[in-house]
Amino acid sequence: MSAALLEVENLSKHYPVLRRGILLQRQTAAIRAVDDVSFRLQAGETLGLVGESGCGKTTTARAILNLVTPSSGAVRFEGRDILPVFRKGERSEVLGIRRGLQYVFQDPYLSLNPRWTIGETLREPLRIHWPEREAEWPTRIDALLRMVGLEPQHAWRYPHEFSGGQRQRVGIARALAVEPRLLILDEPVSSLDISVRAQILNLLAELQDGLGLAYLYISHDLSSVRFISTHVAVMYLGKLVEMAPVDALFAAAGHHYTRALLSAIPVPDPGAAQSRIHLQGEVPSALRRPTGCPFHPRCAAALPVCRSEEPALIDIGPGHRLACHNPA
Amino acid sequence: MAPPLLSVEGLQVQFHTRDGIVRAVDGVDYSVGRGETLGIVGESGSGKTVSSLALLRLVPPPARIAAGRVMFEGEDLLAKPERELGAIRGRRIAMVFQNPATSLNPIYSIGSQLGEILRWHEKLDRAAAEARILSLLDLVGITDPATRLRQYPHELSGGMKQRIGIARALLCNPALLLADEPTTALDVTIQAQILDLLADLRQRLGMAMVLVTHDMGVVARMADRITVMYAGRVCETASAATLFSAPRHPYTRALLESMPRIDHRYTGPRQLLPTIAGRPPGLLNPPAGCRFAARCPEAMAECRTTLPVETVVAPGHSVSCIRHGSQGIAA
Amino acid sequence: MEGSIALAAPPRPPGIWRQGWFRFRRNRGGMLGLVLVGLVVLVALTCFLVAPYDPNDQSAMLRGASRQGPSWAHLLGTDRNGYDVLSRVLYGAPTALAVGLGAMLIASILGTIIGGIAGYVGGMVDEVLMRCAEFFLVIPVFIVILAVVRLFGIMVVGTALERVPHLNLMTIIALLGLFGWPPIARMARAEFLRLKQADFVEAAICIGATRRDILLRHILPNALPSLIVLVALGIGGAILAETMVSFLGFGDPKAVSWGQLLYFNYESLKVAPWGSVAPGVAIFVTVLGFNLLADGLTDAFNPRLRQ
Repeated sequence: MSAALLEVENLSKHYPVLRRGILLQRQTAAIRAVDDVSFRLQAGETLGLVGESGCGKTTTARAILNLVTPSSGAVRFEGRDILPVFRKGERSEVLGIRRGLQYVFQDPYLSLNPRWTIGETLREPLRIHWPEREAEWPTRIDALLRMVGLEPQHAWRYPHEFSGGQRQRVGIARALAVEPRLLILDEPVSSLDISVRAQILNLLAELQDGLGLAYLYISHDLSSVRFISTHVAVMYLGKLVEMAPVDALFAAAGHHYTRALLSAIPVPDPGAAQSRIHLQGEVPSALRRPTGCPFHPRCAAALPVCRSEEPALIDIGPGHRLACHNPA
Repeated sequence: MAPPLLSVEGLQVQFHTRDGIVRAVDGVDYSVGRGETLGIVGESGSGKTVSSLALLRLVPPPARIAAGRVMFEGEDLLAKPERELGAIRGRRIAMVFQNPATSLNPIYSIGSQLGEILRWHEKLDRAAAEARILSLLDLVGITDPATRLRQYPHELSGGMKQRIGIARALLCNPALLLADEPTTALDVTIQAQILDLLADLRQRLGMAMVLVTHDMGVVARMADRITVMYAGRVCETASAATLFSAPRHPYTRALLESMPRIDHRYTGPRQLLPTIAGRPPGLLNPPAGCRFAARCPEAMAECRTTLPVETVVAPGHSVSCIRHGSQGIAA
Repeated sequence: MEGSIALAAPPRPPGIWRQGWFRFRRNRGGMLGLVLVGLVVLVALTCFLVAPYDPNDQSAMLRGASRQGPSWAHLLGTDRNGYDVLSRVLYGAPTALAVGLGAMLIASILGTIIGGIAGYVGGMVDEVLMRCAEFFLVIPVFIVILAVVRLFGIMVVGTALERVPHLNLMTIIALLGLFGWPPIARMARAEFLRLKQADFVEAAICIGATRRDILLRHILPNALPSLIVLVALGIGGAILAETMVSFLGFGDPKAVSWGQLLYFNYESLKVAPWGSVAPGVAIFVTVLGFNLLADGLTDAFNPRLRQ
């Protein structure tokens, strides 16, 4: 197997729960927002990271980019351990890593500086990374705008003059400005209208083919995940519970949570005989995390062992990993 | 044939702004039979939410209902004095809102905000009100309702709050439930629970429902009939089965095709989604003719000048498209 | 190539300031405030030319013509010290503006830096700085000013400082600024805290922006509109505060101030009301102007607040 583009190993992010004393705070517990997550992503592939709100998928992405400092674990990008680089803070090395992986945000209304024109927003990464090539910036900005389906004259406009879909295109262009190999896409289409969603998904697909990008695609929307991903990882309460190539996962999910998630999606076809799995209850608060398998209180197939022992993520097929004592 | 429970005719809602009149809803007709669920789908700006708020004259200023009739149980709600309408709101027609977090008042306990509605509308005393609330909380699947009564909204999860919101809507046995994106703010597994609950309640209580949503999957699961809206006008109305299997309007078709499907293989050679080019028109000065003409792959010259009129093309199936059998009014 | 693109560029569309101005222009109160403030500024800039008398001209008293009612010679009459009221009121404008702008300049620099650091760094630093801000908030500024002005006045006697012009006035300005920063710091803290978590700031971090870029190019410009509203409000407050200090007789005897005018003339309110009414009106107009301006700015820059 060739070296992976991105390798995440035992990544954890724990937030201390603090109780305020008279002078100092003391830690009473820890929320395990991301708990011992490991996965690899090859160049040119897309890993869909799915789960419901609060499952830790966004925190995982932010930890990879050091937007939050991970509690433990390692992130290797192109074979290089990147977290120590961020810790050391050597500017040229940090910039080197920032050039490799970029982030596209969920909300296109919040992710652009409202006081900058689109051109200024796109000039910023060029100014930071290639200050000596100032003469090339204008052509590069034009090219970036065209690449995401906008017009060069849009560079003179402000974000508020654009629709959500157009802003998302700008967000993508900004991420592409540094010529990354990996884009982390955090719910890039969930705030957009259906018809715009398709446009952006197509754009992402075309950019991937044209530039050979790899994506980490974070979403709760499984139909868009199916469209864009080559592999899917499912998270529940900070844990990775199942990971598989996309068709394998949709055809033969092993984890009961994955199956419930798949059957919960309303299919736009009234005749579809969906075998619905009714999940009881709601995701428990991360503060009151169940012992053993985190999913056992809602799982119909739970065994006594699920209550006491946390299942390990093990290989069950080609590229298919599963953490369940009693797989479906 | 018995008259429908609710029929909306020629509804127009306009926003009077500094720059001119925005025609958010521009001549919308639909009807809902007793016990029937009508799904209204559309993208943002299609007028789906404004048109449902207009049923109860709840459009916020600067919006104004400019024309139309809303016939409900034989009366025109738009012509009724405000006081009489108050007796219908929440009682005969109840609403479930999109955001369960903000639709409950944070400073009152669940029991007191629900009890107030019953005392106000039904003039029930405290004990009778509490008994009714407990039975409803039980009906919407809330465990340990007696404890919940004394809790405040912030102590409940999103799914739980939406269940309370539904229970509140059901307090006075409404004939019609207006649900505006009732599951959009919820996670998928919770959304499935709430949709199951709504389907179950509708069956048990024989209530009619107007379900406003942008999610085709949700209407496919819930609705008997579906109305598709675009830029303030109705494109197409059909039974759920017909709309998904044989949509006529180019917008409906394009919308359905543009959604990635969970039951489709996309691996192998790259497949792209069919998309609708362009953007919806501004409603400040909407184009003459069909609102969709500029983005429509099948548009003819006539479409840009002639406003299509909703025409029945098959039993229970009506379309506003000149290309597909509609009459038109020259603009 | 580049040139042709630049030529083809459409005119630059309105940015946040231009947009704010469009909204501001529609606000009648705000526009009235702007006109009133503009009037005060105009008077302050031109009083040397338009005032009919020297502000320190007491010759009317020697002629026995103090406390005279309005006449052609003295449009607003003379006060009990024989000053021409109109001239004194006109010359009060630069003093008032110096106090308002000076005090708020100090307060806004201190407040933005302290609040910005508290909000951006967070943790213990935030805790300490904000407790410090609360400490400054609970001190009765007035008593401190009165005490300091009096003590300082005694201390400088015989030193080189004695010859510094308007020393008392500058002390008052400095103290108002020194005690005026906490509200601005609180707002700056809230804004920096909010903006440091904004997606576009995180996007800048991902791009590799330095902390300096983030603070000065992303956070500060987006925090400015809210801060400017507070500053406009604070100018009115500072002017009023100086008026009160002067009215109590602790002002700068060498500076012409509206509060001082009131202090000189309130005892003859019944005999010569013009001596008190004219500076009163001037204070009212100025403070009202700044408050209306602040209100209009709030509407213009935070339109969602009022919906």
